[in-house]
Amino acid sequence: METVQLKHQLKKQIIEFLNLTSLTPEQIKDDQPLFGDGEGLGLDSIDSLELIVLLNREFGIVIKDPKEGRKVLVDVNTMVAYIEKNRTK
Amino acid sequence: MFYIHQTACISPQQTFSGTGIDLSREYESADNRMKALEPAYPGIPDNILRRMAKAVRMGVGTALPLIRTAGEKMPEGIIIGTANGGMEESVKFLKQIVGYNEEMLTPGNFVQSIPNAISSQISLLSKNKNYNATHVHRGLAFENAALDAAMQVNEHPGNYYLVGGVDEMASFHYNLEYLKDSYKKEGISNRRLYETDTPGSLAGEGGAMFLVNGLKDQALARLQALVTFHSEEEGAVAGRLRVFLERHLASGGLAPDLFLTGENGDQRITHFYRANEAVIDDNIPVARFKHVCGEYPTAAAFGLWLACQLVGGLPLPGHMVKRAGIASANYKTILFYNTYKGQQHSYMLLTAPSL
Amino acid sequence: MSRVFITGMGVISAIGVNIPENRKALATGQCGITKGTSFPSRYAGELPFAEAPLSTEELKEKLTIRDAGVTRTTLLALHALEEAILDAGLSDEELVSSDTALIGASTVGGMCLMDEMYRDAHKTSGGSEFLASYDCASVNMFLQAHFKMNGIVNTINTACSSSSNAILYGARLIKNGFAKRAIVGGADSLSKFTINGFNALHILSPEVCTPFDRDRQGLNLGEGAAFLVLEGEEAVATGPAGSGATGDKNFYAELTGYCNTNDAYHPSSLAGDGPYLAMEGALSSAGLQPGQIDFINAHGTGTENNDAVESEVMQRLFGVPPAFSSAKSNIGHTLGAAGAVEAVYSILNLVHQEIYAGLNFTHPIPETGLHPVVTYRRMPIHHVMSNSFGFGGNCTSLIFSKA
Repeated sequence: METVQLKHQLKKQIIEFLNLTSLTPEQIKDDQPLFGDGEGLGLDSIDSLELIVLLNREFGIVIKDPKEGRKVLVDVNTMVAYIEKNRTK
Repeated sequence: MFYIHQTACISPQQTFSGTGIDLSREYESADNRMKALEPAYPGIPDNILRRMAKAVRMGVGTALPLIRTAGEKMPEGIIIGTANGGMEESVKFLKQIVGYNEEMLTPGNFVQSIPNAISSQISLLSKNKNYNATHVHRGLAFENAALDAAMQVNEHPGNYYLVGGVDEMASFHYNLEYLKDSYKKEGISNRRLYETDTPGSLAGEGGAMFLVNGLKDQALARLQALVTFHSEEEGAVAGRLRVFLERHLASGGLAPDLFLTGENGDQRITHFYRANEAVIDDNIPVARFKHVCGEYPTAAAFGLWLACQLVGGLPLPGHMVKRAGIASANYKTILFYNTYKGQQHSYMLLTAPSL
Repeated sequence: MSRVFITGMGVISAIGVNIPENRKALATGQCGITKGTSFPSRYAGELPFAEAPLSTEELKEKLTIRDAGVTRTTLLALHALEEAILDAGLSDEELVSSDTALIGASTVGGMCLMDEMYRDAHKTSGGSEFLASYDCASVNMFLQAHFKMNGIVNTINTACSSSSNAILYGARLIKNGFAKRAIVGGADSLSKFTINGFNALHILSPEVCTPFDRDRQGLNLGEGAAFLVLEGEEAVATGPAGSGATGDKNFYAELTGYCNTNDAYHPSSLAGDGPYLAMEGALSSAGLQPGQIDFINAHGTGTENNDAVESEVMQRLFGVPPAFSSAKSNIGHTLGAAGAVEAVYSILNLVHQEIYAGLNFTHPIPETGLHPVVTYRRMPIHHVMSNSFGFGGNCTSLIFSKA
C-alpha cells in the first residue's frame, strides 16, 4: 500500500478506535501532534495504550514498553514510518 | 437533613431543564425498555465525551450545570449513588477478554466501567478536589448517597454538596435481569404498566442530581427524613412506616398531603405498596412514577427529583395518580416510599423549605 | 460528636486466615505473593499473585455455607466478619439491632466469576446460581440476610480506597447519631476482569512487587477481607468517671482522624494534590501535627506513578517523613479490601507497639531518596496514619491512635 493511502487508512482507524466521533480523517494533519492540547489532538496516556493495541491488532506490531511506544506515537508521520518498517500483517 | 437548591434530571421523559420539563407527554416504552433521552451535553468537551459510558455521561451531564450554578462556592463534596456504574463498558471489556484471549486489550473500557468513574469524572471536569464518594448498594445506592450528603450538611451546613443517583441500562445487564425475571416476559406498554398482573417491571435508566446545603434561604425543597432497611416481610415494612410517620411527621405536627411511591407493576411486590397505602389515611392521594422512568436500582433519585418539582409547584400529571384523595394544586409534604425487588426499602419525607 | 473506637477486628489475606496469623507473618517478614496459583487465567503461573490460603470449597466447608450463589468474595468477607464479631464480643441482640450498621466495600463483587457472568449474559433462559451475585452489593446483601441485620447497610466502591471510605462512613454514622456501632470493612477476590484491566494499563509487575524501590515494575494483585467493629464512646471504657464513657467494652485503638479528597487529575494515575490534601486533612481532623505521626502504613503499590507521587507528597507534608512501609509487599494489592486490611495492620502497630518490614526494597527512588522500614522493630507508637489512593483520584487517609 502506498504511504499516502496508509496515512489515510491509519487516520480512519485512529478515529474509529478512539471514538473520535467529531473528527474526519481530513481534519487530522500528518504532522499534527497526537498528544497535548493546543495544536495537538489532545490524546492522553490511556489513548497511547490503546494505540499500541491498534498497532498490534491491525499491523501485527508488538510494543511491550509503553514508554517506547510514546516515541513512535508522535504524529501520523512517525506512526506510518514505524508501521512501514515493522508491520507483519 | 438538607435543603435542595438546584436539581437536574435525565430520564426517558422530557426532564432536562434545557429542553423544558414536561411530564405530561408520557413517552412510551419500546420493547419493554425505557431509554433515557440524552441532551447534547454542551458542557462536556468532545474529547472527553467520546470515551464516556452512558452512566458517566448522564451523571456528568446533570452535575455540571448544577456546579456552575454554585459558582464560586464549589461543592465541598460530590456524592454519587450507582448500582452498576459503567456497566456497558464492563461488557465491552469482558468481550475483549474473551475475544482476544486475555491478550493485548485496550484499557479505556476497563477504566470507564468502574462505578466511581462517574464521581471522578465530575471532579476532573470541575477540578474539584474535595470529598468524593460512590455508593453502590444496589436498590439503596442513591439513598445511601443522600444520607452521606445529609451527614456532611449536618457537619458543615454552609457548604454545598452535590448528590445524585445514576444507572444505565446496559444490554448485558438487561439480559441478566431478564433471566432473573426482573422484567415483564410479555410485551407491554408503560402506559398500561399497572394494569398487568404478572411478575416483573420495565427496564429503565436515568440520572438525577441535587445541589444541597443546610440553608433554607432560596431553597426549592427540604429533605426532612430518610430511612432505609432490608426486609422481605410485609408486616415489618408496614411497621417501619408507622414508626416513620410518628417520628418524623406526627411529632412535628406534620401530615403528608401526597404519598409518592415506586410501585412498578411487578405483581410479586405490589403487596408492599398496598400494605403501605393501608397504613396512611384514605384521603391522602397516592401517585406513582415508575411507568415514566422504568425500574432500575437508583430510580428513587428520579422519585426525589419528581417530588422536588411537585413541591416547587409542578402540577401532578394525571397519569401518575393512583388514588385521588384530597388533591392539591401544590403538594408541600410528600411522603415517599420505594422498594427494590421487595428486599430493600426506603422512606423519605420531602417538604416545602418553610416546613 | 462521639469519639469512635475499634472494639473488634477480623482479617484474611495471603499471609494468614486470622489476626494472629497475619500479625505473626508481618512480624517475621513473610511474603504471600507467588507465581503458583490455580486461578483460571492465562496469567496464572506467569504473573505473581497473592491468593488467600483457603480454596473456595474450603471456605464454604469451614463457614458451613451451603447456600447457592455465594461467591468467593462473599466467603472471604464472611470469614473476616465472623472473626470481627467474635472478637468484639457482639451479642446477637447487638448484631440485629437497628442501631448496628454494616458498611462494606468491594470492587470485584461477584465478577470473580467472570466466565459464568459472560455465559449467563448470553443465555435466553435459565441462568446459573450466581445471577444475583455479580454486583459489588451482593457481598453485603448476603451478609445482611445471613446475620438478619436491621440497621443501615451500605456498599462503597471508590476503587482502591473503598474500604478506607467504608471505615470513614461508619465512623460518621456513629458521630451523626445514625448508628451506635458500625461493622465496617471490605473484601475482594482475584478476578480475570481486574487482572486484565490492570494488565491493559501496564501496571502489573512481572515479578514480586518492590514498593518504593527505584527499579519497581508495578503491582501484584491480591485478595482478602477485613472488618472492624466501630463503637461510640458510650459503649467503651475510656477512663475515669465523668469522662463521658459509661460502657465497659475494651477497645484496641481510636479512629482519631480521617479525610477523603479527590486528585482531580486523571482517571488512572495521580498527580499529588489528592494524596496531600487527604493526609493534611486527616491530621487536621485529628488535631495533630505531622511530627506526631509515628508510622505511616503507605499505599505503596509498587507502581511507578503511585510510589513516586506518594514519596514526594510525604516529603512535602512531613519534611522528613516518619517510618513507613507498604504491606502490599506482603499481601499484594487487595483493592477493595486494602483500606480495611491495612487499617487492621495499623491497629496491630498500636496494640503491640511494633512496626513491620517493607519487603523487597533495595534502592531508593532517586528523586526522593526515601527508605521504607526494612526490618521489624518494637518502638513507642501513639499515632499511625494509613493511606489509600485509588483510580478515579479517590484518596483517603485515616489516623488511628493508641488506646
